[in-house]
Amino acid sequence: MQASAVAGGGGASTVAIALFLAFVGATLVITWWAARRTRTTKDFYAAGGNITGFQNGLAIAGDFMSAASFLGASALVFSFGFDGLIYAVGGLCGWPLVLFLLAERLKNLGKYTFADAVSLRLAAVPIRCLAACGSLVAVVLYLIGQMVGAGKLVEVLFGLDYAIAVCGVGALMMFYVCFGGMIATTWVQIIKAALLLTGATIVAICVVIQTGWSFEGVFATAVAHHPNGLAALSPGGMLHDPISVISLGTALMFGTAGLPHILMRFFTVPDAREARRSVFYASAFIGYFYALTFIIGFGTIALVAGRAEFLDAQGNLRGGTNMAAIHLAQAAGGELLLGFMSAVCFATILAVVSGLTLSGASAISHDLYSSVLKRGAGEAQVVAISRYSAIGLGIVSIWLALLFEEQNVAYMVLLAFTVGASVNFPLLFLVMYWRGLTTTGALIGGILGLTTAVGCILLGPTVWVEVLDNERPIFPYKYPAIFAMAASFAGSILGSLFDRSARATRERAAFTDQYIRSQTGVGSEGASGH
Amino acid sequence: MEHIYREIRRDPRFHDLERKRGRLSWILSTIVIANCLWYIFATAFFPEAGFAAFWGKPIGEGMATTWGIVIGFLQTILFVVLVVWYIRRANGEFDTLKDIIVADATRAAGDKK
Repeated sequence: MQASAVAGGGGASTVAIALFLAFVGATLVITWWAARRTRTTKDFYAAGGNITGFQNGLAIAGDFMSAASFLGASALVFSFGFDGLIYAVGGLCGWPLVLFLLAERLKNLGKYTFADAVSLRLAAVPIRCLAACGSLVAVVLYLIGQMVGAGKLVEVLFGLDYAIAVCGVGALMMFYVCFGGMIATTWVQIIKAALLLTGATIVAICVVIQTGWSFEGVFATAVAHHPNGLAALSPGGMLHDPISVISLGTALMFGTAGLPHILMRFFTVPDAREARRSVFYASAFIGYFYALTFIIGFGTIALVAGRAEFLDAQGNLRGGTNMAAIHLAQAAGGELLLGFMSAVCFATILAVVSGLTLSGASAISHDLYSSVLKRGAGEAQVVAISRYSAIGLGIVSIWLALLFEEQNVAYMVLLAFTVGASVNFPLLFLVMYWRGLTTTGALIGGILGLTTAVGCILLGPTVWVEVLDNERPIFPYKYPAIFAMAASFAGSILGSLFDRSARATRERAAFTDQYIRSQTGVGSEGASGH
Repeated sequence: MEHIYREIRRDPRFHDLERKRGRLSWILSTIVIANCLWYIFATAFFPEAGFAAFWGKPIGEGMATTWGIVIGFLQTILFVVLVVWYIRRANGEFDTLKDIIVADATRAAGDKK
């Protein structure tokens, strides 16, 4: 392991380490600067509401283009050819939907977290608990994926021990979030997004140059190197189970609209106008990035597949298929690009885990502590609780990352999308669009969605068979999103229809005012006072 | 705040605004979801499904690039174009109208107090 880890040559590691240290240094300076500006809860959770649409768009892109999506998307194309692009198309597709259906209403209704928006006309205590549960489960699953990815990356690239790498990442993210809050997290995200876009552009350009200066050259070389030939560029054939593919696509399409760390970003801008503008910049950057993954993905088939220097003793790709894009950097741009991309990927993970930790800490401190456990707690106290929560989450995620060392990174992230699509998204969507939704209905739907998602994951092929060593799965599909999402919507709708309580009548009546607020922004946080 | 909400609710221009903006966002959402489902179904059921059979065909004689790749690229561009379209209308026409409605409602609510 150690020998193969540094087989790329000492030069690569030196470049990577130097760049990585420069990034960490810069982010620590930002954290110090941000810490001096973080006084109120509004600073801590929403960067004072002073982020511009452009900055927020770049930060959203940073949140969304995780290392798992960059490495995972290329790995899927590497393994499944054309079918692997589903990650890129499905992932991008979520963004227009967030803009058309949710962004401005969310901004007009909420304050710091999406739980603010859903608890406006429903009973605050149970709904906040539900939203916080949905957020925390999604955040923790996502965190595990990113931390495991970070540990593996460092293990392969620098030859450092997995546990040390995971602890290092955990410590840095706790530091950013604790001291710098949303201001530091936003700027770390912005720098990282710029680095990742630059790096991916350079890799794509190098691939095009190496394969004869044309896009056709990239695909022709890929076809020539792929055992299935032209079939690698046609849909179907590789992901055989239609239900799983549709479920995967659903999770990607609607999961984006239910990821708490993404939704939270809409509260960092001053108004709905800037919220929309942030989605424009975010989707432009993400679209460009995923267009690049077409080239990078097929580039891995063209330049990495089957080359002896990237294989281990068993003939598999060194470090697993997740490392395909990293190997491509070396194949296309040599040691220098390998070093650069390694550092960028590591920076990416660091930025994304910070965003996740911040949103998890907000769920605990803002949704649970200050709105449920101890109402009317002072600002300083709530910020202090956020900091403790960030430390707690950091420790839990380090522990879980050590426990789940062998889990597939992209799969863990997809599970987070599944929970987002089947708990948070239906709740948010129904509360905004359906007058009939009541607290009882929302609770039934949310609990049903969460238990279906978690239950199907536990009883499905990945956990029941691969982890628990059972003969055959009780739930046959790998991705449960469509079932869990359907259960959640059905539970919410039926539960609300049969709810005849006085509270339900009040909640339905309150829809009109909520609707006008969501459309106009009258009475929303930040509209007054600032 | 309730007074302003009541005034807005009475304003026919508000209902006009919500109808227009709602229709635009539903049409655009449908286009996006349909495109994405087209892609997902092509991946899930190919080659049995006729609607996606040409995805696997090269775009030219002796070429490797398939229609599927081209469509994938175009979809990426389409999504961004739809986003720009929506934002231009929402931040321009719709927001201007909204600001007028809110200003009028605020004034009317103030007068009645």
